[in-house]
Amino acid sequence: MLLADFLDPKTIAFEQRELEREQVYLEIIQRICSHRHPGVNHCDQELLDAILAREKEAPMAYAGSIAIPHVRLDGLDDILIGMTFLEKPLDYDGIKVDWIILILTDKSSSKIYLNIVAALLRMSKDPQIMENLRGLKDGHEVIHFLKQQQIEVGSELTIADIMVKNPVCVSPQDKLSKVDSLLNKHSIAMLPVVDDDHNYLGEINILDVLKVGVPDYLMRISDLAFLSSFEPLENLFEKEEELSAEDVMRTDTIYLNPTDSVVEAVFHMLRENRRYFCVLENGKIVGVITAMDVFKKVIKA
Amino acid sequence: MSSAITMLVALVIFAVTYVLIITEWINKMLASLIGGFLLVMTGILTQGEAFLAVDWNVIFFLLGMMLVISVLKKTGVFMYVAIKTAKLVRGHPLAIMMLLFCITAFFSAFLDSVTAVMIWVPVAMLICHELNISPVPFIITMAVASNMGGAATMVGDPPNVILGSAIDKHFMDFMINLTPASLLSVLASLGLIILLFRKKLYVSQVNRAKLMSYKEERLITDKRMLVISLTVLGAMLLALAFDGVLKLGTASISMSAALILMVISNRKNMELVLAKDIDWITLLFFMGLFILVEGLVKTGFINILANRVIHVTQGKPRLTSMAILWISGIFSAVVDNVPFVATMIPVLKQIAQVIQDPKLMDPIWWSLSLGTCLGGNGTLIGASANIVSVGIAKQNGFHISFKEFTKISVIFTFVSLLTSTAYILLRYY
Repeated sequence: MLLADFLDPKTIAFEQRELEREQVYLEIIQRICSHRHPGVNHCDQELLDAILAREKEAPMAYAGSIAIPHVRLDGLDDILIGMTFLEKPLDYDGIKVDWIILILTDKSSSKIYLNIVAALLRMSKDPQIMENLRGLKDGHEVIHFLKQQQIEVGSELTIADIMVKNPVCVSPQDKLSKVDSLLNKHSIAMLPVVDDDHNYLGEINILDVLKVGVPDYLMRISDLAFLSSFEPLENLFEKEEELSAEDVMRTDTIYLNPTDSVVEAVFHMLRENRRYFCVLENGKIVGVITAMDVFKKVIKA
Repeated sequence: MSSAITMLVALVIFAVTYVLIITEWINKMLASLIGGFLLVMTGILTQGEAFLAVDWNVIFFLLGMMLVISVLKKTGVFMYVAIKTAKLVRGHPLAIMMLLFCITAFFSAFLDSVTAVMIWVPVAMLICHELNISPVPFIITMAVASNMGGAATMVGDPPNVILGSAIDKHFMDFMINLTPASLLSVLASLGLIILLFRKKLYVSQVNRAKLMSYKEERLITDKRMLVISLTVLGAMLLALAFDGVLKLGTASISMSAALILMVISNRKNMELVLAKDIDWITLLFFMGLFILVEGLVKTGFINILANRVIHVTQGKPRLTSMAILWISGIFSAVVDNVPFVATMIPVLKQIAQVIQDPKLMDPIWWSLSLGTCLGGNGTLIGASANIVSVGIAKQNGFHISFKEFTKISVIFTFVSLLTSTAYILLRYY
């Protein structure tokens, strides 16, 4: 998605007068409200107070001479952006700010909002872009320029953003007993197997461990209802010191890259019917992604 | 192309395909289909001739049986029988081995030998584990039993299915002529089992108690479906038995049974059944094979071969019969018996032109059947059931070498071929 597509030329202004901070904000709010967006009910002092209160909690000015005041509104269900370029900069606790971007966003939508902020900050660090922006005349030119520059709002959440970094690993020579106690201690269902340099060799999931107690012939029997107990499974611990991680690990599994999208991770989880994947970079383990990560950090975030 | 050259080309295609099938250098289905369609591409057969050569009675019969078995398997009846018998003999290993031998043979006679070992070898391994005895003798004897049982009926083993379809013999003809021979072989084999394994198997009381705690009744979860399946199976076997009178065709009978069971048990979801329970490789392999052999028939090679056989045996039925029995027995021991039978059928059909009296000719057909089916036991690679059984064993850490398997199986083969020789000589000549 392009940043330019989130903007409306009517909400962008170039200001020659010397104004107070509150006055600048209020004018931006009024420009945004002139669209009568159904989600914004109080286009007045009340909204301004909310923004100022939010600003008190956390400073909103950044080193690239921009400030991004914002507020989250219940039921807005949109992201509204207004901006003013100031000929006479304002002082934000010592930071001179000449570009103010005010953002109204919904209480629940965080991802796109955060990505927009990230895109703005990236831009503010590029002096050439900033120089060009300041030389423009109106909103249409700003949008045209941003389009030309192809300023992207990074919308793709990658696996690296949500994976568990530096996961617990075992080495191939580790005994099954160590594997078992690690699975138990960390309440995890999968352990990557790596060499001393963290090169990925394979992985052991909790089912691989249980399989040690279930021979192949048992798996070939169509129904085990007649069998109420099976010694090798119940006495699995007897083999804990005999077997090593390399005896149990599987090496045929697919793995993911940190730059892969979350959609791709979910796709593989559903297709392979697996809830865990190792994440590798140049053959080295960098993380583990689980269905629970996706659920907690993306769906329920 | 002159006729001699086309024959040569057909023969080369046949021989190369045959070698590929035997060596399994590529998948046997691929080999047979490549060979078959190469005959069309080289103009030796037209596409029409190639498709006419496929015995659709065999293909659809096998397809129907595979579907019937897939439903029966889900009822749990096979597992139930195995565990029930093991408990009936109170975990006595030699008795279990003999009973499993009989069950496998019986099942293979009416359904399919590869399926039999795929169902019961794992159960036997579980029982052996619980009894703390080696499963290897069980595995080998069960593979032997599956081939021996397969020889008993027209539907037991693919060579018999192909033979029955090709020579217009009915289920009952096979029952009357082959079942006694097969029964004799099974009896002789049971004696052999006692002789070979009686002293090697010991089981403790504790392990016996474990086996006795199995609750086999929990395997039958859907009594209604079990009753329906067994009824349909019974009706199917009955229809097969009287097909001499009914003249419905074996394929139509097995397909009807299959379709009835499919509608009752699986009306909506066929994808999984088709993907998991149908052995498409075998079906397509047979199709390719039929086309391949047709190439030899059309170019006249089979004619020449038949004349050589008649020349050697001087057209004497008794001698021909014995030669066919032992040659096909030895041949089937080292190569897949299906291509062998498919090739031999047109040869024997030519011989039937010389020996016209069915009284004298029929025993030659039965010899071919007994030789190929029983010969499959000759070595590890003689029959698919052997390879499958040993494969399962290997997956479980029991490496049964070619030598180890053959050492035992060849004794059984020799005894059963001797039994068959006596049977044929005493009954027919």
